[in-house]
Amino acid sequence: MAGRLLHTSALVLALVLSPSSYGRANRANLASHVYLGTAPLLPWFTVLVAFASLVVIRIVVVTAESYGLSQYALETVVRVLVLELIPLTAALFVAVRLTLPAGVELAGMRARGELDAQRARGLDPLVTEVVPRVCAGMFSVVTLAVVSCVISLVLTYLVVHGLTHTAFDGYTRKVGQVFNPSVALIFALKTLFFSLAVSLIPMVTGVQEPSSGEVRATPELQGLVRMFLLILLIEVASLIGNYY
Amino acid sequence: MQSPPESVPINPRMEFKAAVLLVLVALLVSASVAYLMYARGVFERTQKLVLLADDSEGVVVGMDMTFSGFALGRISAIELAPDGNARILVDVPQKDAHWLRTSSIFTMERGLVGGTRIRAYSGILTDPPLPDGAERRVLRGDATAEIPRLMNAARDLLSNLQAMTASDSALNNSLANVQGVTDRLKGPQGALGLLLGNEADARKLITTLDRTNVLLGRLDGLAVKADTQVFGDKGVMPETRATVAQLNGLLADARGSLKKVDAVLQEAQAIAANTREGTSDLAALRAEAESSLRKVEHLVNEINRKWPFARDTEIKLP
Repeated sequence: MAGRLLHTSALVLALVLSPSSYGRANRANLASHVYLGTAPLLPWFTVLVAFASLVVIRIVVVTAESYGLSQYALETVVRVLVLELIPLTAALFVAVRLTLPAGVELAGMRARGELDAQRARGLDPLVTEVVPRVCAGMFSVVTLAVVSCVISLVLTYLVVHGLTHTAFDGYTRKVGQVFNPSVALIFALKTLFFSLAVSLIPMVTGVQEPSSGEVRATPELQGLVRMFLLILLIEVASLIGNYY
Repeated sequence: MQSPPESVPINPRMEFKAAVLLVLVALLVSASVAYLMYARGVFERTQKLVLLADDSEGVVVGMDMTFSGFALGRISAIELAPDGNARILVDVPQKDAHWLRTSSIFTMERGLVGGTRIRAYSGILTDPPLPDGAERRVLRGDATAEIPRLMNAARDLLSNLQAMTASDSALNNSLANVQGVTDRLKGPQGALGLLLGNEADARKLITTLDRTNVLLGRLDGLAVKADTQVFGDKGVMPETRATVAQLNGLLADARGSLKKVDAVLQEAQAIAANTREGTSDLAALRAEAESSLRKVEHLVNEINRKWPFARDTEIKLP
């Protein structure tokens, strides 16, 4: 099962990376998947992250001030929010709102024989159905993460310094200190792998034929567990990379 | 030509919207990357400053060097020099480099809480600016390094205190002696016994004092008697006064006698003056006598010339 999953995932990934998947025939389908996968989520997620960020920023800043460590508050906020919480939240949000339902939808299409019908018409369902959904999931995760990070950085500046531009240089220096090259690389890789994990696993699980062995759980549940496990592994690896 | 699948509604404008979204996200990502690069100082023109320290513990690449609380430079690398010292390479933006002068001092401080801080101090801002690639030794001020020294000092202090307060310590013995002294002060002999050491000497001193008191009593009687002898009715002083009165009378007599002697002397002086005048008259008289004798002689000579009975008056020619 895991070997098949890995094989199908590699196949989908290769299709995602190959330019032929973005041909004119598939482009409109891809565009609609990408747009409808991201645009409806973006406002809600941004508002949600803004509120959560405000609470976390306020808690960290006030606590640091009460201990006389306000000079470390900014760094803590940037590390906790931007580096750790927001990419994870974005990945989970996209998984719950977009890719898991899409995986279920693919499983339904497979069960109804639509995928086989496409194959019969000479179409590759991996290209026509799976790749657009995977691209939409990855793009959504990256977009939500980047927009939320920018929003939370702005909110951090406003909470700590207020409505003034004079502290911009000092703030920029602090942000620069947090984002040293290795941290920035780990952040980018983590976001990328999160997006891959939440996009690939539900789709691949949905599109695969369930194995005929003794499997008590449904394929959707198995995919969910695998996805969470992979997200956990990526998060742990990134923490190890950042702090050890 | 493959027909698109039907699972997602296809909108002709969807492709455009997706493209706009893609471009916006790409722009946002690019701007974020550019901002992070700017924050990391990639676009700044910098000059190098090398700080030499014997220990670079706590110094991390990317931390700031501050000047008056403002970040002035960023640590770009830390390397080990061949002589074992740590070389801390600092990138100082050229627009801020004028704060660093050749006389600037660099310190590395480690507080109890928080990381290591590197600070720059420029006392004389009119000195020449620090050249690019300058090497400076950094002064270390380490609060945690002070703790072992402080602990040692505290331990020494405590052991000294323990030695001082031990049962056989000098301080304790001194206090015991003080207590003995106060006990003796409170005793029958008091401070005298304390000063003289033993009871016999103290008794001797008291006996001496008693005898001195008796002696002083006798001296008092003696003084009374001496007073009577000196100032009494028939004492020395009245007699002396009478003698002085007599002496006064004698002196008055002596003064009268002296006045008389004075008068006698004045008379004698007058006599002496007369005698002086008499002697001056004698000189005139003598001159007159001499003149008369000369005239007589002249007269005799004249007579002898004129008188023919001269004995041999002619002049013999040769």
